[in-house]
Amino acid sequence: MGVTVDVAYKSLNKFSEILCGDKVELLQTQDSNIMILADGMGSGVKANILATLTSKILGTMFLNGATLEECVETIVQTLPICQVRQVAYATFSILQVFHNGDAYLVEFDNPSCIFIRGGRLVPIPQNIREVEGKKINEYRFKVQKGDALILMSDGTIHAGVGQLLNFGWLWDDIARYAVKQYGLTVSAMRLAASICQACDELYQYRPGDDTTVACMRIINAKPVHLMTGPAQDATRDDEMVRSFMSGEDTTKRIVCGGTSATIVSRVLDRRLDVSMDYVDPDIPPIAYMDGIELVTEGVLTLNRVVQLLRRYVKNETVSEDFFLELDKPNGASMVAKMLIEDCTELHLYVGKAINSAYQNPGLPFDLGIRQNLVEQLKHVVEDMGKPVTVTYY
Amino acid sequence: MRVTICIGSACHLKGSREIIQQMQELVKEHHVEDKVDLNGAFCSGNCVNGVCVTVDGTLHSLKPEDTREFFDKEILGRL
Repeated sequence: MGVTVDVAYKSLNKFSEILCGDKVELLQTQDSNIMILADGMGSGVKANILATLTSKILGTMFLNGATLEECVETIVQTLPICQVRQVAYATFSILQVFHNGDAYLVEFDNPSCIFIRGGRLVPIPQNIREVEGKKINEYRFKVQKGDALILMSDGTIHAGVGQLLNFGWLWDDIARYAVKQYGLTVSAMRLAASICQACDELYQYRPGDDTTVACMRIINAKPVHLMTGPAQDATRDDEMVRSFMSGEDTTKRIVCGGTSATIVSRVLDRRLDVSMDYVDPDIPPIAYMDGIELVTEGVLTLNRVVQLLRRYVKNETVSEDFFLELDKPNGASMVAKMLIEDCTELHLYVGKAINSAYQNPGLPFDLGIRQNLVEQLKHVVEDMGKPVTVTYY
Repeated sequence: MRVTICIGSACHLKGSREIIQQMQELVKEHHVEDKVDLNGAFCSGNCVNGVCVTVDGTLHSLKPEDTREFFDKEILGRL
């Protein structure tokens, strides 16, 4: 079975800077996932340009099968030279994990990758090669399910330097903290965010340097099927529900929509229990059905889900507050949480029927926008790096 | 007596939450918890009117401000 990955990153900008001088690129090829972290020299606009150029060049060239030598050569010749320091410089790390489990790590001057397997730290051997006068470490290995790999910019190890800590947050101590958080978190995002949060605290919320943590966890494939809306032609209800219920044992299923839930309940002959707990005044309560992980109301819930996922994709806004919101027991947070943390691919089963009662101008919210919402949902989940398919009925 | 209140999209926007809250308070106030069984329900297929409330199988349409009157007449009145 192929290797599936969960990737996420979190950056802190240097205090008072609007742009981040670190840049992460997450890419997919036919047979691999690539995560690149570049840290541009200096801070602000200049660093951002250096890091963006470096990560984009590496990403584009890697995607097209260029060798490491060619990539580094291109970067050296392309980066603008700093007026102050007379050098062009950005450090970088590249991690490529193939679906067959082969992994390739390249590191240039960033803090070394933290590699966690089975709750223990795995040392990364030194295998230094000189390319264009730059000492680059390369490591080829095999990944296993459960492995976590963390790339960082040097803002992490400088956290608290000269303030709370004499020499900053030492790599060994970060690694120990990462191992502890590895045991406490499930998703790549929570792991990356927890390390970043600790850095922010050590900096006393005024980071002295751009700080980025990018994390990749090797996981089982977790497909999610989401059904919303009744089929345009009611005779296709059975077909729609059957497709929605197909898939492997690990597939999780969500129904968004009262009428859809009623249809699933009828076709499968399973009881639907609707709760009356209004945990959030704006989101209707959820319901329960055997064999379906989540049953919620439709468009109002989905609208909130899209808002939450947008906040997640924007990254800057992913903080402790965001996770508190995600952990709330309302339907929208529950759907968003499953799509962020428990999903590697999303399959949407969308009915095109229009409820004539929703075409009522007296309603304070346009309920006839399901298909538009589905399109938005598709795009935002794709932006999270997860493949999405949509089937209309 | 089984009372179901629709919490589907349209009914939600017309105030199911307020109606549920009021009903729960009214049931407590009159000490009829053992006689009235309040439930949520998804779309009852009558979205055009007010919030759908079903009392022992009979469908009614309700506005939040009419809840007390409805409770007295249709629920207490039938117990």
